[in-house]
Amino acid sequence: MSLIEAIRLTEIFLAIALLQQSLEHLRTAQDERKLFIPRIILSILLLLGLWTPWICVLLLIQALIILKHFDGPYNGGSDRMSLLILSCLCLINFMPSSQLQGYVLGYLALQVLLSYFAAGCCKFINREWWSGRALQDLFRFSAYPASQDLRSLADHPKVLLFASWISILFELLFPLTLLNQNLLIIGLLAALTFHLTNAYLFGLNRFVWAWIAAYPALFWLQGQLI
Amino acid sequence: MLTTLKLLIPVFIPSWQFFNKIAASPRIEFTMQATAEKQTDNWQEFSRRPKQRSLLTIIKSIFYNPQWNESLFMTTCAERLISNPTEQASQEIIKRIKAELELRQVNLSRTPYLQFRLVFVSREGNKLQEDILFISELEKLEEPDHEPN
Repeated sequence: MSLIEAIRLTEIFLAIALLQQSLEHLRTAQDERKLFIPRIILSILLLLGLWTPWICVLLLIQALIILKHFDGPYNGGSDRMSLLILSCLCLINFMPSSQLQGYVLGYLALQVLLSYFAAGCCKFINREWWSGRALQDLFRFSAYPASQDLRSLADHPKVLLFASWISILFELLFPLTLLNQNLLIIGLLAALTFHLTNAYLFGLNRFVWAWIAAYPALFWLQGQLI
Repeated sequence: MLTTLKLLIPVFIPSWQFFNKIAASPRIEFTMQATAEKQTDNWQEFSRRPKQRSLLTIIKSIFYNPQWNESLFMTTCAERLISNPTEQASQEIIKRIKAELELRQVNLSRTPYLQFRLVFVSREGNKLQEDILFISELEKLEEPDHEPN
C-alpha cells in the first residue's frame, strides 16, 4: 500500500468513525447536538476528500472543544484513538515532504501496535488476569456488561480463564504480525473479532470503528519494514 | 488554554491500559422528593442495562449505541467525582437522569427535588461489598418546556 493510499484510506475510515460517534449524540441534549452537527458536516467533507487539510484542522479544533465540553474524553479509549488519528492526519497534511509524512503515519502505526501490546503487558503482569479472576470481576460487578444476562458469565471460571489467556496472548503477540503481510491480515481479522466481541459483551462499539481507522497505517508500515 | 492542552497530552502519548485492574465500580442511585426539607430513603438505581438483548439489537448496537455510551460516560463522571470532584461531573449526571425521567414521562412537578448518590461495588475476598462514597446536593429540577404527550 502506498503512502498516499494509506493516508486516504485513513481519512475515509476516520470520517466513518467520527460520523458514527457524532450520530449517536443527536438524540442527546440540545447543547450537545450543537457540537456534533458541525462535526457531521465536516466528517462528510472528509469522507468526500474535499478541502482535506483544512477540514482536518477544523475537526481537530472541534475535537478540542468537545474534549473541554465533557471535561475529558466522552468515551475513553475510542475518543483517544480518534483524536490521535486526527492529529496525525493534520500533521501529515502540512508536512513539507512525503518522508516526513511517512514518519507521522509510522508513529500512528506504532501507537496502534502499542495499544494492543501495552494492554497485553498490563494484563500479563497482573496475577488476577492469569487466573481469570479479573474477567470474572469484570462480569460480576463492573459497569461494563451490556446486558444483565451476561453477568452470569462470571459463574464460568474455566471459560474466563481461557478467554483471559487468549486476550493476553493475542495482545502480546500482535506486534509479530508485522513480519509478514499474510500474518498482518490474520492479525487484523483477529483484532476485529476481538473488538466485535468487546462490542457485544461490553457495548464498546465505538472502539471497532476507531481502531479500523488506524489499520491502513499498519498496512503501510508493514510494507515499509519488509 | 492550559486545561485544553492538559487534556490533549494523553492523546499524543496515550497509555493504552484497558481493564488492567478491575477497580470498584460505581452505581448511580437517585431519589426524588417533594420538598427540599423532607428526606427520603427511596433510592433507585439508574440503569439502562437490559436483561437481555436480541441478535438484531446486538447487531444494531455495533453501529448505533447512544444510550449505552451515555451510561458509560455517566460511569466516567461518577469516577471523576471521586478522583477529582467537579460540579460539572455532578451536573452531567443530573442532566442525564432528568432527561431519562422526562423520557419516562415522570411528573416532575410533584417531586421536583432530585438527589443522587454513588455506590461503589468491589470484591473483598469472595464477597461483594458496597460503599456509598458520594451523595449529591439536592437539585431542584425545572419543568420541561412542554408537557409530555
